[in-house]
Amino acid sequence: MGEAKQKMTAKEFSKQLTKKYYEGAKHAHEQGKFIAYTTAVSPAELFYAHDVIPIYPENHSVMMITHRMTAELSESIERKGYTSHLCAYARSDLGFRELHKSPIGGIPDPDFLLACNAQCFTLTKWFEVLSRRYNAPLFVFDTPQFIRDKRAREEIIKYVMEQIYEMIESLENLTGKKFDFDRLKEVVEYSRQASILYKTYLDMAAYKPSPISIFDALINMAITVYLRGTPEAVEFYRLLIDETMENKVKKGIGVIPNEKYRLYWENLPIWFKFRDHFNLLASYGAVILTSLYVHAWSYDFDPSDPVRTLAENYASVFSNVELEERAEMALDLFRRYSLNGNLMFLNRSCKAVSFAIHELRDIITKKTGVPALVFESDMGDPRFYSESQIRTRIEAYLETLDQLSYEKERGLRN
Amino acid sequence: MKKEEILKTLHDISADPFPYLRSKRENGAKIIGSPLADVPSEMIYAAGLLPVTILGTNKPIVKAGAHLPDNACSLSRSNLELVLNYHPDDFDGFVFPQVCDTTQHLSDIWKMTISSEFFTSFLIPRQVDRKSARHWFYAETSRLRDNLERYTGSPITDEALKESFRLYNENRHLLREIYQIKREAPGVISDRQLFDLIRSFCYMDPKDHIPLLRELIDILPKEPSDDGNVKVVLSGIVVEPAQLFDILDELKVSIVGDDLTVGSRMIAYDVPDREDVVEALTERHFAKSPFSPIRDVGTRLYDFLLQVVEETHADGVIYFHIKFCESQDYDLPDMKGIMREKKIPMIVLDTEYQSVTKAQTKTRLEAFVESLYGERDNG
Ligand code: SF4
Ligand code: SF4
Repeated sequence: MGEAKQKMTAKEFSKQLTKKYYEGAKHAHEQGKFIAYTTAVSPAELFYAHDVIPIYPENHSVMMITHRMTAELSESIERKGYTSHLCAYARSDLGFRELHKSPIGGIPDPDFLLACNAQCFTLTKWFEVLSRRYNAPLFVFDTPQFIRDKRAREEIIKYVMEQIYEMIESLENLTGKKFDFDRLKEVVEYSRQASILYKTYLDMAAYKPSPISIFDALINMAITVYLRGTPEAVEFYRLLIDETMENKVKKGIGVIPNEKYRLYWENLPIWFKFRDHFNLLASYGAVILTSLYVHAWSYDFDPSDPVRTLAENYASVFSNVELEERAEMALDLFRRYSLNGNLMFLNRSCKAVSFAIHELRDIITKKTGVPALVFESDMGDPRFYSESQIRTRIEAYLETLDQLSYEKERGLRN
Repeated sequence: MKKEEILKTLHDISADPFPYLRSKRENGAKIIGSPLADVPSEMIYAAGLLPVTILGTNKPIVKAGAHLPDNACSLSRSNLELVLNYHPDDFDGFVFPQVCDTTQHLSDIWKMTISSEFFTSFLIPRQVDRKSARHWFYAETSRLRDNLERYTGSPITDEALKESFRLYNENRHLLREIYQIKREAPGVISDRQLFDLIRSFCYMDPKDHIPLLRELIDILPKEPSDDGNVKVVLSGIVVEPAQLFDILDELKVSIVGDDLTVGSRMIAYDVPDREDVVEALTERHFAKSPFSPIRDVGTRLYDFLLQVVEETHADGVIYFHIKFCESQDYDLPDMKGIMREKKIPMIVLDTEYQSVTKAQTKTRLEAFVESLYGERDNG
């Protein structure tokens, strides 16, 4: 096995892991295992520690979106009275349950659902629908906004920790098995390692030229989303980093040939368009390097106190902090990665991340002096995506950047 | 005062509370605004401040559009517009509750765009079925108490809180009494008038509201009498614009119950008498009926509505959906299914501030009411 793996590329390994993961899930019920639906940001470590298989409907929805199935799936539930204004993940998922169409043959039904609202509130409502449908218990893991008030933070952590214990009790009730805290420590240790390595990988975008773009980050994010807490995830990121180091960094090869603009991207990607966007930008010497979204999984766990560390990490994710703090997180990326452009996508699917975009733009623009493009579209539903409009706006924006740098070069501006 | 005078006074305040609030302010009151829902007014009042629930505006949206995406719910948009554009100087501070994505992020926008002496968020638990929620509500209410004390510079004593509980309980009690009178004799006051009373409660000092309600109760006839109207239960969060109540009156519909946040959910639950005042507020919070954005036990949201319909022997349900309220969007398809299954006629109206007389709304309501009459008279 060792030898076979030696020859495997990170991409192949990722494929293999994904296949194994979904295969395992498919046969879980046959093997007497339980399936828990959970949200991408959630203390999934609890599931791994308790041998419950976590399934991420969001992740499955991304696959349906990239296979361009969302419009059809969504229409099927719009006929049942759901509106097209809901998050495209939710619509794809609910549509999948109507039409039973999926690029991977579907995901198994849940025995249990966990919705962590640090990420968004939408998920709790979407999972409520599923919980009624499958008559499976829903646990809302409630994380109040992590406001910058010392006392509030202490209380929030207490509240969230108490919920972890409640959640453990629910899992014990589900499986009839005692929860093993030593095992939790182990799982959190794997999560810690995977998260650090994942972050190291993301931080490779600081090299000039950058060996990775946000599209690489997005593709390689999946493993930490659904396999953090396992040794395989750690192994995968080691391999990925080594490979990127050898093939790109050491040779000074950038992800695009003439890197001129290093862009920040606000929000989730427009999943069904990201290759097109990559190519369009590359033709201008521009590349999107990062986003707070991909950094949402660069946690910093302390396995010696697993319950507290899970509480602290999940409550403080970027989508759950106050706007000023979120802006600081973005500004940190601007500094560390020397970013000089800012594409801000107002995603009609995702109110949780899009809502205060204008205020966010004001702060970032003021602090960096980098102009920003704010444009509205949808991450998953081509019916709300206007190709010509967005293309024109991105092109105009890049021309503005060109003009600015021309003026700077000639000392017309500082 | 005569019945009509009292009703007119409260109607005027519910239609535009700002003349009243300004006169309070001229007499030294400090106005603390809060969007819906679940901020304990009793705590703010006990701090010597005047709590006001902000219910949006129907005046044109001018400034809020630049701060919110197009698919922000109509309630949050018109709340922001009200304060940002029409009444920027009419509040001294805000206690801002968070229940959904919209309110969470609106809180950030609010802080950055509206200047006030005092701002604090109030982070209510978004689940109510586990012990942790109670502990958290207790902690958060204690934090609110401290923050208010810091703002006013003086402690909120337990005595002041108990007096505040007494006043608010009495105010709610009187509103319930009038609701009950209307239930038994629907013709006594109109639907609009009933909800003018409830809406004015959002704005007024209980010391001003209570005497008017008392006087009104004295005047109102108490004998049960049937006006022959069909009877409905209203469901949702808030019914806006309030002119929708006039339409119900016109169509000869009588309200006999509701699960509205600006409605029974606001007036049905009292603060119990407890040694620990914060515990008393906590108990009240968890006694409340379900609220769409808050995760409740199982299917309690639907079961509760069914229970109200059963108890009031209503002929049907009118559900008021706030445009772009995601929370309701997720609830509705299943809600419709359950109502169909139970054979309870229900209509869902998509409502939006700034659009009072949508002809379509009226036509649909008309048809629905007609069918209710048909069913009642033939069934
Ligand atoms: S895209 Fe946004 S709204 Fe949709 S599930 Fe993710 S965080 Fe929630
Ligand atoms: S619960 Fe609905 S109406 Fe209330 S603020 Fe949220 S989206 Fe708007």
